[in-house]
Amino acid sequence: MPSGALLFQSVILGLLLGGLYALLAAGLTLYFGIMRVVMIAHSAFLILAAYLAWWSHARLGVDPLLSMVVTVPLFFGLGVLLQRLLLARLRPVTLTMMSVLLTFAIAVLIEGLLGYAFSGTQRRIQLGYGSASLGLFGARIAVVKLIAFGLAAVALLTLYLLLKRTRFGWALRATIQHPDAARLIGIDTDRIAGFGFGVGLATAAVGGTALALDTTIYPSLHWHWIGPLMAIIVVGGLGSVPGAAVAAMLLGLVQSLLQIPLGTTWAQTVFYLALFATLAFRPQGFFGGRLAQRF
Amino acid sequence: MPSASELPAAPRHRLGGLFRAVAILAVAAAVLSFPSWAPNPYILSAGVVVLNYAVLSTSWNFVGGFTGYISLGHGALAGLGGYATGLLVVRAGLPSFVALAAATLLVAAFAVPVGYAALRVRGASFVIVSIALVLILLLVFQSWASFTGGSRGLVVPRPFPGLLRPEHHRVFFYLFAALLAVALLVWWLVDRSRFGLGLKAIREDEDKAESLGTPTFGYKLVVFVVSAGFTGLAGGLYALWFGDLDPVFQFSILTGSYLVLMALLGGVRQLFGPLVGALVVGIGLEYFKVEFGNTPLHLAATGLLLALVVMFMPDGVLPALGALVDRFLRPAQSSIREVTAAELRDRGSGPPEGDRPADPPASVPVGAPDGRSAEERS
Amino acid sequence: MTGQPSGPPGPATSGTGSPATTGAGSPATTGPTSPVAGGTGSPPTSGTGSLATSGLTKAFGGVTALDAATVEFRHGQVNALIGPNGSGKTTFFNCVTGMIRPDSGRTSYRGADITRRSPHAIARAGIGRTFQLCRVFPRMSALDNVLAAARPDGFWSQLRGARRRVELDRARGWLTRLGIEHLADVEARNMSWGQQKLLELAGVLMSGPETVLLDEPAGGVNPALLDRIGALVRELNAEGRTFVIVEHNMDLVMSISDHVVVFDRGRPIAEGPPAVIRSDERVLGAYLGV
Repeated sequence: MPSGALLFQSVILGLLLGGLYALLAAGLTLYFGIMRVVMIAHSAFLILAAYLAWWSHARLGVDPLLSMVVTVPLFFGLGVLLQRLLLARLRPVTLTMMSVLLTFAIAVLIEGLLGYAFSGTQRRIQLGYGSASLGLFGARIAVVKLIAFGLAAVALLTLYLLLKRTRFGWALRATIQHPDAARLIGIDTDRIAGFGFGVGLATAAVGGTALALDTTIYPSLHWHWIGPLMAIIVVGGLGSVPGAAVAAMLLGLVQSLLQIPLGTTWAQTVFYLALFATLAFRPQGFFGGRLAQRF
Repeated sequence: MPSASELPAAPRHRLGGLFRAVAILAVAAAVLSFPSWAPNPYILSAGVVVLNYAVLSTSWNFVGGFTGYISLGHGALAGLGGYATGLLVVRAGLPSFVALAAATLLVAAFAVPVGYAALRVRGASFVIVSIALVLILLLVFQSWASFTGGSRGLVVPRPFPGLLRPEHHRVFFYLFAALLAVALLVWWLVDRSRFGLGLKAIREDEDKAESLGTPTFGYKLVVFVVSAGFTGLAGGLYALWFGDLDPVFQFSILTGSYLVLMALLGGVRQLFGPLVGALVVGIGLEYFKVEFGNTPLHLAATGLLLALVVMFMPDGVLPALGALVDRFLRPAQSSIREVTAAELRDRGSGPPEGDRPADPPASVPVGAPDGRSAEERS
Repeated sequence: MTGQPSGPPGPATSGTGSPATTGAGSPATTGPTSPVAGGTGSPPTSGTGSLATSGLTKAFGGVTALDAATVEFRHGQVNALIGPNGSGKTTFFNCVTGMIRPDSGRTSYRGADITRRSPHAIARAGIGRTFQLCRVFPRMSALDNVLAAARPDGFWSQLRGARRRVELDRARGWLTRLGIEHLADVEARNMSWGQQKLLELAGVLMSGPETVLLDEPAGGVNPALLDRIGALVRELNAEGRTFVIVEHNMDLVMSISDHVVVFDRGRPIAEGPPAVIRSDERVLGAYLGV
């Protein structure tokens, strides 16, 4: 039986991890809401951002967090271009399948280019505060994990405010809920959809930076992330950002707790089991998600 | 007038059919004679690899071509077939080809619950499950080392221990060719059956097919299981040929994407599309492996090529070539679609759809609905 | 279960639905059931032999599209379902045909509860439908479109060739009857809107329904074709098929229907023969928003 302190530590770590999952899943939910596109390349962009953070630290000697000054706008632009130049040009009839294939191809392309540029070697950021940790009721929590969680929380809050309080957010929500009606009231839904993709990809920039703080990265790492992220958005009920957030926290927590008896490798299977079980028995997800029926 | 669209179609079919028959015979002869003119055992083994790809992408096309559901996980099903065959030989001591048959059934059975989860809802969930399948099988087969051999790999004993290496390649080349023939034959049979028509209806509009009484879920599940069975069989045969299995290669997301690329490039709606795609991509892969070795640029090139095909040629090269051949054979006549468009223009006038201004008054006199057509036909 | 309610539609058929191949289960064949005298808006309780819903409710988010709708359509008649936009007519069709699960309430067809059945099972029970935005299989020829609707008789028959003589004749028969036989080899996406509408109808009829639900058959159709469709509906009705038609074109509704049900805000507010409905003030109120 694991000690209380270990259990407590796992809970804290699980929640911190869940926060990061929630941020990354929010991007995926956004894409799906806007265009019914399952964006496989999301986690590849995540790793790209992580590499850029690592590179700016290792080569330029800048704090990895500062890399976001460049990566967030860059990714926003890439997201807009991705939507306007590629996804929007696919035939509507086969959009679902072809968009998955296209984003899959982009993921493979990014992985190949990363491997070419930085080799397959595992990389890790060595930070001055990298090994520092806080003691809390007997649990030891690495500072970088707290920073990563903090980043995720700030980014999610910003996203929330952006969606709920700004005119752009209002237009984006209208576009997601009813594109035809949105067009009728004068919203340029194509433009808004492009910006929506930009925002989604910008979350990958933040998430990738947060990830780089505390993880060893290598080009094919994105496959380890795409599975869990897919599972989260399916369990949460597609199209529902809060649903994805709840599912992210929950699955992060379960994964963290399962690591005690099973070890890290087998604990990952919880995501796949949750994915299969949800699709088989409750395909609309567990936390709402009006769009899930068409998923 | 009613038969306008039928008459010119006939000669076209005959010429096109002749052309097709010649092309098929030529390809078949080239494939079957390949072992006798392959310069060395290495080239012969490359031929086996390409044929394996052809079988796999044709198997993939049972799902992808008929229903339009794209699976990125067929590489994992092949890997599972390979491991099941290997493990049945190594751990259970079954004879090689008995193990192969059992492994095929196992993979098909495994596909039932997977298909159940993946196909109940339509759309992207199928792709997601297919990717998840690769990832989870990789995880399991790497981690469960005590049973599967883990990353150290699994050595599968050869079924014909007495054969020299070139002979071994030759035998398996013909085995794969036979399997390819069977897969193509079954695909062709499905293509012309009611079952196949139902599957194509699903591809076109699933809700509509369902509303016409097609049990879409059952249809999709059956064809997925058939596809998985063929894929597992090919994977098992590969295991017996290659003799050494490593989870990283057996459960690689890349294998799955190669299969999609091949089928898509050749044309998913064509019987021989995946085969053509496999010849192009498979030979290209083998060539680049020899010239440049395994570099990350392989990945980048695959990704780029896939993206280009998806963006610019989602119907594949075969339909494009077919249109070209058509133009050569019937330079005077444009394609059948254009004839119809012209015909429509002749008949129609007036917005929004003045397609049949002439016939309505005469056509349906209440009570004698069918008289008209009889008249018109005579 | 897979009875073919009406004989082959080709040139040979004369009017009546023939008692051809009745599979097990199909209650009564489809001879024209005695048309209920075009009478008054009768109480929606009379026995089996009809499509009926009780308390059908469906909400999307906060919007109630169907609000405890209780309706009965009588067998052998041309029923019309009218109402202002957003009054729940299409949602009603979707619930009845199983494409949408209602939140509560039941649907029964000829005495059997079909509420929870899947759409294809409902189709096989004898209810065919068209869609508001006409749906055909775009990259299939007109002939294949119709053939795809053929009902297989038994499991193994599905492995048979799709172009067997019997089906081919039936399919061509329907194309001929709808006047689009010359387009048999044309891909549906290359046909005009009106032709696609006729093709969709041909497919639905090929599947052999006893009851046909038409969602806005007149939408986007020119006047000549409109007359044609109206006449066709009457003919097919005379052969024994029941119709339920959602339609905005009042001329068409009034000229072809025996019985009209008016929907407003997700429930029926009036029903009766066309002449009565035309002068019903509740109906005027619903349309004019009074």
